[in-house]
Amino acid sequence: MAHLEVEGICKGWEFPVIDELSFAVEEGEFFVVLGPSGIGKTTTLRLISGLETPDAGRILIGGTDQTRLPPYRRRIAMTFESYALYPHLSVYENIASPLRARRLPANERDKRVKDVAELLRIAHLLDRRPGEVSGGQKQRTALGRTLVADPEVFLLDEPISHLDAKIRHELRTQFHTLEDLRKVATVYVTHDYAEALSLGDRIGVMGTRGRLEQVGNPRDLFERPANLKVAEHLGQPTINVIPSRIRRDNNGLFLDSETGDLRLKLSGESEAALAGYSKDHVIAGLRPQYIRPIDEAADGMELLSAEVDVYEPLGTNGIMMANLGSMSLTALTDPEKHYETGQKVQIAVDVSGLHLFDADSQVRLTGIT
Amino acid sequence: MNHATGAMTAGGTERTQDAWRHVRYLFLAFLGLWIVFTVFPLYFMTITAFKSAAEANLTVPTFWPQEWQPRNFIGVFDERTNFNALVDSFVIASANTALSLFLGSLAGYAFARFPRQAGGENLAFWILSNRMFPPVAILVPMFFLFDNTPWGTDSHLSLIILYLVFNLPLATWLMMVFFRDAPVEIEEAAYLDGWTPLRAFFKVTLPLVIPGMISVAMLCWIFAWNEYLFANLFVGTAVRTYTIVIPTFTHGSQTLWNFQMAFSLLALIPPVTLFILLRRYMVRGLSLGVVKG
Repeated sequence: MAHLEVEGICKGWEFPVIDELSFAVEEGEFFVVLGPSGIGKTTTLRLISGLETPDAGRILIGGTDQTRLPPYRRRIAMTFESYALYPHLSVYENIASPLRARRLPANERDKRVKDVAELLRIAHLLDRRPGEVSGGQKQRTALGRTLVADPEVFLLDEPISHLDAKIRHELRTQFHTLEDLRKVATVYVTHDYAEALSLGDRIGVMGTRGRLEQVGNPRDLFERPANLKVAEHLGQPTINVIPSRIRRDNNGLFLDSETGDLRLKLSGESEAALAGYSKDHVIAGLRPQYIRPIDEAADGMELLSAEVDVYEPLGTNGIMMANLGSMSLTALTDPEKHYETGQKVQIAVDVSGLHLFDADSQVRLTGIT
Repeated sequence: MNHATGAMTAGGTERTQDAWRHVRYLFLAFLGLWIVFTVFPLYFMTITAFKSAAEANLTVPTFWPQEWQPRNFIGVFDERTNFNALVDSFVIASANTALSLFLGSLAGYAFARFPRQAGGENLAFWILSNRMFPPVAILVPMFFLFDNTPWGTDSHLSLIILYLVFNLPLATWLMMVFFRDAPVEIEEAAYLDGWTPLRAFFKVTLPLVIPGMISVAMLCWIFAWNEYLFANLFVGTAVRTYTIVIPTFTHGSQTLWNFQMAFSLLALIPPVTLFILLRRYMVRGLSLGVVKG
């Protein structure tokens, strides 16, 4: 039985924010809710924690209905996006707060606070006030306050989004190694797909009104996005979206972009996806790593002429925006090469990376199986 | 071409700077006048407190005492009850301040966190507006009202309660503003730590508004300490505030300005001391390092 169960919860103020949201998180599972800002991710956490009461639906923790239980009676720990540290208390007292609330004996409290501080490498800061430590250290303090509580459910609201890149990566790797987080049910909210792919045992991609567009393991989500929204949300640079037309002739199945600039012969996989599909129009999605500028064509490779619009050298790779007639494509390039705006390039497209979506519903085409 | 443009721009800047310099001088002159305006009464009060009764009553005043008479400060206590008046004022002001803060914090918290349940912004403003009418308008009604209480008008309790009419709206409104500035997330974090709302209030919310509370306390205390209009009508034999005592320093038809000023100076000591002691808290920021980043 799942440890945390969210059953059809609804919440709205002037307009609905969460509409019939359901999911379950197993004990020891790290569940990531991924979605753009303002979509209802934080509201979801606030509902689970009891800071808000759902208009409808139930929240079960450990099999018992806790929908109406006030937050201080639930055994839930939550980090806030703003950290929400107590500014007038030392780092030590901030971390000790849940233990003081439970009136734990002083020596045990002391031991647990120091253990957690050691683990998070903030033991030397215990006497400082939150205003006197850095952003990353604030986040560690907030994390310490949740870890020390020994809760049944962890809720982490964008815990590392506001830190600079280096510390963000450092903390992200630390989430992997924190045993306590791996023992209980954790819900982790983020808008950063890389965090989600890195940390999630399972990921739920949240769309409008708190609808979960797709729930699955990171690999599934990335390789088989259920719809265009999920495909667009995962991956940086964003997937190329190409509204296209299906053309069938004696030589097989072809994909023509609506602009007419791109004509691709479809591979067997795509053919399977299109089996039983009667419409002419589809939306093709192609991740930038499947589009590459190329110097010499290998056998059987179809090359397209394009012109560089913008080139961003990023060290480990480069991002090229290229114009193919009236169409713009994003391509991932090798770090050694450099390109100038206006430069003519040859582009190879690997059709095995194609995702096909229904032109109207934007749902992934999987073919008839 | 470029040169010419450069020179013109420079000239323009100089002219602007000149204009600003004149404004600055005007401003300084105004400030100087203002200082004279505010400091002169204090100065005159102080020197008068040291003058003899005869010198204090001269038609053409002296601006420096011809003869220093520090025993005025002891003379004001020839009437033993005069010291009690200072004590009475102190008790009334302090008790009223404590009550204003306690009730004002509760009400302010309610308005800040549960505006809808507490009656909304309009109710909060209506409470504040109670401070806007001229107090004299309710002078007589208040007298009859308190005259009908078991303890009557001539009591500490009456004045303590009466001054709530003025101090409680102010305390409520200001505390509401301070509570509104205290991030609600900190309270929520406390709930999740397992603190009940009441415990969370005392653990995290109240400490955040203490600097604001101290400012409110100062305002309330000074108002109650200095109040004259109502005290003049209410007090009799059981209680006398120091403001009532000051006009009693007369000798026959002669006003003892020196005694009045000496006593006033003594009455200035408590508020000034309080202000100096608490100044540090009054300027301190409300929320330290709770925001993002």
